Amino acid sequence: MSYREKIAWLSLFAMAVAYGPYFKFVASSPAPWEPLPHLHPLGLFAVVSIARMLILGAGYLYLRFSSPREERVPRDERDRAIEHRSLSAAYYVLMAGMILVGCFMPFTSTGWTIVNAAIFWIVVAEVVHYSVVAASYRLQASS
Amino acid sequence: MMQGAISNRIRTLRFMNGEMSQADLGQRIGLTRQTIAAIEAGKYSPSLEAAFRIAQVFNIPLGEVFQWDAKATPSKASELS
Repeated sequence: MSYREKIAWLSLFAMAVAYGPYFKFVASSPAPWEPLPHLHPLGLFAVVSIARMLILGAGYLYLRFSSPREERVPRDERDRAIEHRSLSAAYYVLMAGMILVGCFMPFTSTGWTIVNAAIFWIVVAEVVHYSVVAASYRLQASS
Repeated sequence: MMQGAISNRIRTLRFMNGEMSQADLGQRIGLTRQTIAAIEAGKYSPSLEAAFRIAQVFNIPLGEVFQWDAKATPSKASELS
């Protein structure tokens, strides 16, 4: 498995561990969250974001010291093509999500529901980005 | 769309050139070892510039490194590249 594929899997893992429980909690909250600027959800989001950064930091350090030097060479044309394809896919997901959140949700929802929906679509776009990267490297792996 | 896929003789050419490693070939033309492996396996089609650089390393014309196989079916991975 290439270094960049490992980074993509690590990013997916970190997002699943951090944002999975967050959105599960948000979705299962019995009462609608208080309107803005109620800051409790912001604190919760900050905690999961810090948790994600810690997981990523630890993962990066582990991969840096466990991967051979040749694995950490600068990007070549294939790496750039994969990055371009994954960002293109993520862009369309993000656009669709933002249109939904920005154009439709203000008529049906309020406050933190809209904020969490926006965060959700950003996370989904990131998941699409890293999923396409990981899948592309996996499909093009020689064995 | 017309059927077909690009095949190559890079593995043979590496062997004939002192068993050159994938990493060594990649280093000479600015590609990673994994990219050379993907090209060899027909899972990634290199840019025209990279293809010419590969031919230049082996000091042979491009057509002797890469061939167009009209009957072959392209792999899913090469369709992505």
